[in-house]
Amino acid sequence: MRQVKALIADDEPLLRERLRAHLALLWPELALTDDARNGAEALELAGLHHPDIVFLDIRMPGLNGIDTARALARRAHLVFVTAYEQYAVQAFEQGAIDYLVKPVDGARLADTVERLKRQLAAPFHGNAAMDSMLDQLAARLGHRVGSPGPRLQWIKASVGNSVRLIPVEQVHYLRAEEKYTRVVWEEGEALIRKTIRELTDQLDPVRFVQTHRSVIVNLACVRAVVRGVNETADLYLRTSNEILPVSRSYLHHFRQM
Amino acid sequence: MFMPTRRHVLVVLAFTLLLSVPLQRISGSPYLEVFGRVGFIGAVLLVAYSAAGRLRPRWLGPHLARLSAIVLAAPLAAIATVLVAERGNVLAYLQKPEAQTATIAMVVMAVFFGVPFSLLAMRGERRQRERADRLQAELERNRLERELLDMRLRLLHAQIEPHFLFNTLANIEALVASGSANAAPVLRHLIAYLRAAMPRLGDAGATLETELQLVRSYLELMHLRMPDRLRFTVSTVPGAATLRFPSMTLLTLAENAVRHGIDPSVDGGEIEVGGRHDPSTGTTVLWVSDTGVGMSETAAPGTGLSNLRGRLHAFYGPAARVDLHDVLPHGLRVECHFQAKEAA
Repeated sequence: MRQVKALIADDEPLLRERLRAHLALLWPELALTDDARNGAEALELAGLHHPDIVFLDIRMPGLNGIDTARALARRAHLVFVTAYEQYAVQAFEQGAIDYLVKPVDGARLADTVERLKRQLAAPFHGNAAMDSMLDQLAARLGHRVGSPGPRLQWIKASVGNSVRLIPVEQVHYLRAEEKYTRVVWEEGEALIRKTIRELTDQLDPVRFVQTHRSVIVNLACVRAVVRGVNETADLYLRTSNEILPVSRSYLHHFRQM
Repeated sequence: MFMPTRRHVLVVLAFTLLLSVPLQRISGSPYLEVFGRVGFIGAVLLVAYSAAGRLRPRWLGPHLARLSAIVLAAPLAAIATVLVAERGNVLAYLQKPEAQTATIAMVVMAVFFGVPFSLLAMRGERRQRERADRLQAELERNRLERELLDMRLRLLHAQIEPHFLFNTLANIEALVASGSANAAPVLRHLIAYLRAAMPRLGDAGATLETELQLVRSYLELMHLRMPDRLRFTVSTVPGAATLRFPSMTLLTLAENAVRHGIDPSVDGGEIEVGGRHDPSTGTTVLWVSDTGVGMSETAAPGTGLSNLRGRLHAFYGPAARVDLHDVLPHGLRVECHFQAKEAA
């Protein structure tokens, strides 16, 4: 019988070594390839060594464990390794997918080894439940705080010799100035390179409204709208004495106010 | 504010009813007729006062607009009463000298009483506005206090992230299993971290020094877990031992730097924690700077930052602020600026 090969993918070196030591004890015939420190390395090493088994940490930098698993699911038996992930454990159990919890328990790993040996004796078909399980997992773990959304949340602007990240809710208004756009916010003013057109597309339209070819205003900062002649209006701000123009084509935003 | 308020209507009604009594004595006309005129003028002035607030041209201040409206409306209203009373024979009526005197007296009286009344009304409105503002401020303060309380409750429930705890324990187990001499010091860092992060109410006794120690322990643990990806320095800040500081705030920034800056990066980076404190003025800047992946302009702001702002405001007053800066070529620097309080 040919030698069984396994790959360990985890970004934490001590945990890779620990799992390696455990496996050496429980399954001395198993050949371990070089370890992978992240998802991309795992794919690279898997392509090189064609392991039968991959021990995969779910949270890894770069390509995460879930995306790595998608790429590897048809090529190797996967065993997921996780420190604490309620959702993940639920998903694994529903999909009858093998997983280990850190710190890895010897007896539990022994069970996994037995199961893997049985599975390796049969022809490999891949786990049918894997894809749906991975979708489920991605959906549950995907919506983390800090994951990029479609809308602009911060405006990067040079202030002095540093680039500030201004939270959009602190922005009072934006006004085109020749090649630049002036940002006026709680703490001051700055010039940015983005155009009013780009900003209109990127800012949340519920909070920010274009009032003029060259002006976008934060609705929370508008104190009053005063109608002028010719279907135009003036916007009075809560935050300063500045009066912003509303031109005819944007007046419809303020009909209800 | 645009329509006369019920209060204003009642005041004008009461006053005109009273004023009609002496006027009836002087003029000798029936009371109802006198009140009809006086009450009508009062009503016109009241409407003029209210309408002026709304319809005034932009260049005219609200006070001036209302006073002008009173002065303009007084003679018009007086003449209107004559118009009604004499059924159109105004010119004939006004040729009688006593009628002229009566009409002029009416106008003078309307202005004489109208102006101080509108001044009083405007003062009342201003007070009402001030009261509303005070109420608003009070509500805002209540909201902040409630948020602070919420945050303390959240801290009580979920201070120690299980993912962090179990991963760290797994690392310590690996050290112990391999007989590493590192096991004991690492365990001590975990104990220091847990002790600081254990639920407790209030920030009494917390200083910047203890917070920096906590941040150091946390980063030591993370460095153990990703030795090839995380480098860090935590500088000492002069005067930190006596500087009162809300606990877990700097730690939040260090955790964010690891979680959102270093951890997503294949190559990792460096975290630098430091500060400047001027004991004579109390002006303090603290920062956590990382060379991780940096923050995208569309990154959804987490609750951590707004909580941090709220806590600094509650602790150091509304001038305290949290600034975010880009680090080049990639990374994020978060700065806390505030006026410090010395520990008692």
